[in-house]
Amino acid sequence: MAVKQALEGIKVADFSWFAAGPICAEAMGTHGATVVRVESESHMDGLRGVAPFPTGKTGYNVSGWYNNYNANKLNVTLNLNTDKGKELALRLVEWADVFITNITPRVIERWGLNYDDLKQEREDIIAVYQPMQGADGPHRDFLGFGAVLGPITGINHLTGFPSRAPSGLGTNYPDYVINPMHTLTAIMAALHHRNKTGRGQRIELSQLESVVASLAPAVMDYMANGRVATRSGNRLPHAAPHGAFPCQTIKIATPFGEADEARWCVIACFSDEQWSSLKSAIGNPDWADDRFETLAGRREHEDELEEKLGEWTIGQFPEDVMTTLQAAGVPSAVVQNARDLLDSDEHIRERDYYVYLDHPEAGRTAYDGPGFRLSKTPAEYRTAGCMLGEHNEQVCKEILGLSDEEIADLMVEQVLY
Amino acid sequence: MPDQPSALDGVRVLDLTGEMGAYCTKLLADLGADVIKIEPPGGDPARNIGPFVGDEPGPDRALNFLNQNTSKRSVTLDLQDDADREKLRKLVPTADIVVEDFPRGYLDGLGLGYDVLTKLREDIILTSITGFGGTGPHKDYLAPDIVGVAMAGIMWLAGDPEDPPNLPFGNQGYFSASVQAAAGTTMALYHRDRTGEGQQVEVSMQEALLIAQETAMQAYDMTKGVRSRAGARGSLPFSIPGIGPFEASDGWIWGYVGTPGGAPWSELLKWMVDEGKAEDLEEEPYKSVANQLDLRFLTGLALDAEKRKEHLPTLKHIGEVFTRFCAGKPKWDLYEQGQGRRLLIGIVSTPEDLAKNPQLAARGYYQSIESSAGTIRYPGAPYQLSGTPWKATRPPQAGEHTAEVLE
Repeated sequence: MAVKQALEGIKVADFSWFAAGPICAEAMGTHGATVVRVESESHMDGLRGVAPFPTGKTGYNVSGWYNNYNANKLNVTLNLNTDKGKELALRLVEWADVFITNITPRVIERWGLNYDDLKQEREDIIAVYQPMQGADGPHRDFLGFGAVLGPITGINHLTGFPSRAPSGLGTNYPDYVINPMHTLTAIMAALHHRNKTGRGQRIELSQLESVVASLAPAVMDYMANGRVATRSGNRLPHAAPHGAFPCQTIKIATPFGEADEARWCVIACFSDEQWSSLKSAIGNPDWADDRFETLAGRREHEDELEEKLGEWTIGQFPEDVMTTLQAAGVPSAVVQNARDLLDSDEHIRERDYYVYLDHPEAGRTAYDGPGFRLSKTPAEYRTAGCMLGEHNEQVCKEILGLSDEEIADLMVEQVLY
Repeated sequence: MPDQPSALDGVRVLDLTGEMGAYCTKLLADLGADVIKIEPPGGDPARNIGPFVGDEPGPDRALNFLNQNTSKRSVTLDLQDDADREKLRKLVPTADIVVEDFPRGYLDGLGLGYDVLTKLREDIILTSITGFGGTGPHKDYLAPDIVGVAMAGIMWLAGDPEDPPNLPFGNQGYFSASVQAAAGTTMALYHRDRTGEGQQVEVSMQEALLIAQETAMQAYDMTKGVRSRAGARGSLPFSIPGIGPFEASDGWIWGYVGTPGGAPWSELLKWMVDEGKAEDLEEEPYKSVANQLDLRFLTGLALDAEKRKEHLPTLKHIGEVFTRFCAGKPKWDLYEQGQGRRLLIGIVSTPEDLAKNPQLAARGYYQSIESSAGTIRYPGAPYQLSGTPWKATRPPQAGEHTAEVLE
């Protein structure tokens, strides 16, 4: 069988929205699967209405946030609050190998899209549900999305400086890698199993449980030792220095004119050898005396260590700190921002990580590339973020087998809507 | 009930990972693969990184190591030694997958690179997890977690503007690289199932995390604006009652009241009235503002300086009353009672809250596993597969299975 992409021939019915579901389905699409994204005017993906938008453009097809997770998909609008819409949804399930949704269990039930319903249409379906906290249990119907889920998972309590409120990572962090890629791992394992046995199954990823798995050491430390770990800034018990240090401020152009931008680097020493190399690289200053020779000593005098190191970095550009220290065998990096990543990071550019796609309404914009690279069946970005109802006719005719007349009726009845 | 099969039954993985990639092979092992962890003499150095069970160091007592190595077998081999390398070569034909996180080129230097592996087993899948991938100017950079996270734009977005950029807790760079690697490896396995063709899976920690910048990349691409860390206020232009972190009597909660999907602010006001804690919020001008506090109203304020000037003192007072309301209640009450009223409120869980969380308890999330360090409680399955259940068994002692595997 000549297969150029790993998931060629695999069909995905994507009933998800926001990030955790769509990112997973997009990764399948970029590896060759045919993905049909189901939305409707009455149940539109909330990200369509949220910035960033290309300068001067508006409407629900141009959000950079939405489009980034919905490349390589066909989009069909099915109103699932109508009986005919539900019927067409089940026909799509009959076509699909994988069904995925992160919509709340209450609504999925109302739409008749539970595993038992789907199995009747397609015996070997792999049906994937990503509820916030699980499909059962006392908090099953608790509300949430990334911004509220993050705090519940514990990552806010554990990240940041102890003097501050637990503010989290500034993003809905679990939505973008942990939850979609855990899900994809489970789907691929299930497809492997189906290939071997002919059997499908139901996959449930409770978003809370998936993220708590990533915070295991802190939870286990409480369960084994009764210790409640808390925010400790950027320090680690087994490395010093270990943190972010201020560098020379630069002038940057912004949409509102020229502005100052504080720059930062990170420096980390996990061994006494790395410390010794760091010391030489910064010119063996007088302050770097015997007290700092061992990890225990550097930990004991860490406030002073950070202050003195900061007095050196503040005169440097972070790019120079990184180049100099990496050459000396000391882990160091630029605290990069999006401008660095798109404009200056030569490594990212040489590896062609970012992909530029042309979109009929949004124009040519940047998309995230793949999170893993397969040498013989690489990801391919064929089409930009799908527009609402963009492929109604194609999906209805080619996948659902409907005639022009039926399609027209469904539009009038606001089923294709 | 008869034993149910596991999804990756019959798949063998040679695990050459340390701290960065161990979670990838744990995922494969808990899905049923026979994961053979190759440890250097003396054991994986990650066995020496705390916290430890009972705060007592020991090779089988490091909590992070234990968690990342469930369900695996362990073979001790010194890869610097010719005879041991030969033993590893003999294992390759029995394996489907090799996962490694050595510095780029290290395996090649040992005569165990991809070209050699394919001669031993033509359809082998080799997954390599590194800081920056196998090509490009940074390919040989030293990359502990903080380096990958900084270079991926994640630290720039995290923390209070008055602090240095924040490092996310818990080696999230390693963790993300491992999860991406597990997805890529299982995908490569599926491709091999269908075609008989093996291949290489390459994961760069930096690339594994880039999509977690949320909208920062697109915002710069589309508008040339650089999104930066903004602490508790997040992307809001001014502080808004009911949105962000609030201190309870015994910890913190996080609110998103007034945003779509949850009950409106009027419900929160009703709650405060029911508990006799609304103070003067039922009087004007507070009442009518509280009852219309939603995103549309706030967007209006953001766009209209005149209106903002008029309403900001009112918002500030509403915020203060809500802050006092929170300060008088325990965090679990605010969370569960608030959710009972369909208000978007989350608890800021501490590790203790997670251990005691009734939802996780009701679903039997935590698993107890016996080992020489006693009965240890572990976080459970990140996902449930109905036909091929996730299972975790005791992590191995260093070299515990050397004889049985090499025999």
